[in-house]
Amino acid sequence: MRRSPIPKIRSPSTRALHRPRCAAQICLRCATRSMTFLLFVATLAAHPAAAQDNATKPNQSANPPQQSTASEVHSITGATANFAPNPPAGEWPSQARDYANTRYSPLNQINTSNVGRLRLAWSFADGTQFGHEGAPLVIGDTMYIVTPYPNIAYALDLSKPGSPIKWNYESNPSPVAIGKACCDAVIRGWAYGKGKLIFNMLDDHTVALDAKTGKEIWRIKMGNVENGETMTMSPFVVGDKVFVGNSGGEMGKIGWIAALDINTGKEVWRAYSTGPDRIVKIGSEFNPHYSWMRGKDLGVSSWPPDMWQHGAGAVWGWISYDPELNLIYYGTSNPGPRVPAQRPGNNLWTSAVFARDPNTGMAKWAYQFTPHDQWDYDGINENVLIDLPINGQNRKVLVHFDRNAYAYTIDRATGEVLIAAPFAYLNWSTGFDPKSGMPIVNPEKQPKPNVKLSDVCPPDIGGKDWQPTAFSPRTGLIYAAIFNICMDVTDKPATYIPGTPYDGMDMKRKAGPGNHWGGVIAWNPATGKKVWSLDEQFMVMSGVLATAGDLVFYGTVDGWFRAVDARTGKVLLSQKLSSGIVSPPITYQGPDGRQYVAVYSGVGGAAMVAKANKGFPPRGSTLYVFSIDGESPSRGPTLLTTQAGAPAAQALDQQSGRR
Amino acid sequence: MKTRYALLPSLAVLAIASSAALAADAKQPPLGLRNEGMIATVPLGDLAGGAQSNVAAGITNPGASDAEGGRQLFIKLNCADCHGFTAKGGMGPSLVDKYWRYGGTPAQIFKSIYEGRPKGMPAWGAALSSNDIWQIVAYIESLGGTFPPSDYQAAMEGDRSNEQVAPELNFEQKLDGSPEYMTPSNGAGSSGEQPAEHK
Repeated sequence: MRRSPIPKIRSPSTRALHRPRCAAQICLRCATRSMTFLLFVATLAAHPAAAQDNATKPNQSANPPQQSTASEVHSITGATANFAPNPPAGEWPSQARDYANTRYSPLNQINTSNVGRLRLAWSFADGTQFGHEGAPLVIGDTMYIVTPYPNIAYALDLSKPGSPIKWNYESNPSPVAIGKACCDAVIRGWAYGKGKLIFNMLDDHTVALDAKTGKEIWRIKMGNVENGETMTMSPFVVGDKVFVGNSGGEMGKIGWIAALDINTGKEVWRAYSTGPDRIVKIGSEFNPHYSWMRGKDLGVSSWPPDMWQHGAGAVWGWISYDPELNLIYYGTSNPGPRVPAQRPGNNLWTSAVFARDPNTGMAKWAYQFTPHDQWDYDGINENVLIDLPINGQNRKVLVHFDRNAYAYTIDRATGEVLIAAPFAYLNWSTGFDPKSGMPIVNPEKQPKPNVKLSDVCPPDIGGKDWQPTAFSPRTGLIYAAIFNICMDVTDKPATYIPGTPYDGMDMKRKAGPGNHWGGVIAWNPATGKKVWSLDEQFMVMSGVLATAGDLVFYGTVDGWFRAVDARTGKVLLSQKLSSGIVSPPITYQGPDGRQYVAVYSGVGGAAMVAKANKGFPPRGSTLYVFSIDGESPSRGPTLLTTQAGAPAAQALDQQSGRR
Repeated sequence: MKTRYALLPSLAVLAIASSAALAADAKQPPLGLRNEGMIATVPLGDLAGGAQSNVAAGITNPGASDAEGGRQLFIKLNCADCHGFTAKGGMGPSLVDKYWRYGGTPAQIFKSIYEGRPKGMPAWGAALSSNDIWQIVAYIESLGGTFPPSDYQAAMEGDRSNEQVAPELNFEQKLDGSPEYMTPSNGAGSSGEQPAEHK
């Protein structure tokens, strides 16, 4: 039985001392401390009325609330995860918090018994108007944010009232990038490593800043924006390497992932997603599980002559890392053009997942989720690495919710698909053939040029897009924010013209069965079945945060921020925010010892496909930070003032009299 | 204006080899244009607004009758993939909503297609004939979101057809009495007491 760590009340000065103690895997050692709190919580659980009373009372303690455990741990699957690099419990140092991409926090001051008392602690508006898809990072006493275009970086000082700006950095990307990005001028996050804040600019530059000062340490040009290539993904740091990839799957760009030296920015290796084995970095150690992915230069021969050169497979999603197998995992985008009649063949290695050696870039295995993708089912969604008992065996797996609406549980050492089951409504496929590892395509839902095809589900943006899932070791479940959308589509054959879309899908999207656009589910990755689900009227594009308080947090495209009981799916808190939410929530422990939950409210990105729906919100750029009863150094009855270190950046069109 | 030609070498050559369709279209006789230099009569204009119209903004579209040809080009050249197959916007802005950052008269739209625009609109002037561009303009005009040539000034000032005009509007100009501040006599201006004739 695992229990989450129970730190004592900490003063800021002792915080660092506790850091190594609270990683989730070693929490057994802390378990005995939890007994008194368990008793307390058990009392609350047994007496809902008492909990309710408590929820309505203001917190009378002057001290920060203590950590307490939620209810007794009862994992449904027995799944565990390696939470390396084991950051201090209170920090959120990478987009997914850990290499495994769990998006799970061991903090539990905020839990099922008190989440109803979350109130605004402080907020921060960055003034940029494109979709806010990245999550803030918290390292030490500093929060790091990088805005959508024009990609302004901010460091906020969490140790001072008002969380003032420590420094800002204006990266000044080319405005050309705005019109080359398929799905709004977004970026999906930023990374931290070796004292540097690292992010991709929309116009294909990767930048590293000194996290203390905001001074540029290195900057490298990775592509040519005028040809339709952009960069929107979050860099991913392991040791001395930064992994980055490109966007442009709709622009006929060839996809790639690259490793950069974290100290210099110098490119160490680059692996393409289509083309001959030499540039895909496929060599003798490449050993995919399924025979149809074995052979020489399949990245060329699975295409009509030369079409791999504009075949996409962009790498715009998430990267995971298994330190024991020493492999990184990431997915590739849809093939180009999006009109399948123009590119007979499996179109390898698009809509696929790669496992690669992070040092050399050489591929270990690959698996194509959607061979010869006909619907724009990118394979870029996150791969969550967990260790999962299946049929009595403990398997090292990755769990991947694909755009094609199948959720896959895959042996991450070999690429063998253990489970593939629909998590959202789909009709493009009638089933999955476990022997070949291929989905069975429904011939009635294959688009033909210039013929209108109605009610294809899911649509281009999938049963789930890039918005990431979360894993809780307490429940053993995966939590996913999903879509329920279909489309009418007419393929219009496309011509490759550099800098313009290589696309051809004339689409109209609409709600799926039940006439709602989204939802949130709890998923058993060992059985491929839903444990609970919540329907949402709007898309849920925030992704999900899971915590040791047995809570799941998410936000809707129309701007409702919710906290849900991880075990039952019961909504425990709904808070309307100013704009729609398309950014993953995070949680951290402030220098004051309190647990906070932070989420950006700034609709945009692919959520704009629903912009004509009634109730669709305006854009925004506000980060909301919540705590129990709103208690924080940024809120109080006295004359609080900001001890600011720097003014806001002025790179926005609206500021400094710019036009 | 020689500046138009001076721009040409610096424009990116857009996939001429990749599109036989482009070459075929370029061979068609231009619609009433003597030569490609027709573009020279399209003014550089005042993208930021504020200045009075000059005569050339009032150019009507010589290809106005071929909206269908323009629609086909709009799809063939991947315009539809950015601006939407119904031109209601996507990666690029809507072309049907009466909002034109760089001007919505036929000549201004021609210029935007020819020159490209800073936020990702490619410059098509090197790849397309004037004829092709005017056809695309014709298609965009047919969607109803554009302004007639006579509305150049009105559109720049955000005026609508036949709207009320406050009597004090020209107060300062009357005080000043300088004729150059008065509404031009060509009738295109709507800052005068009489709204321009709109469609």
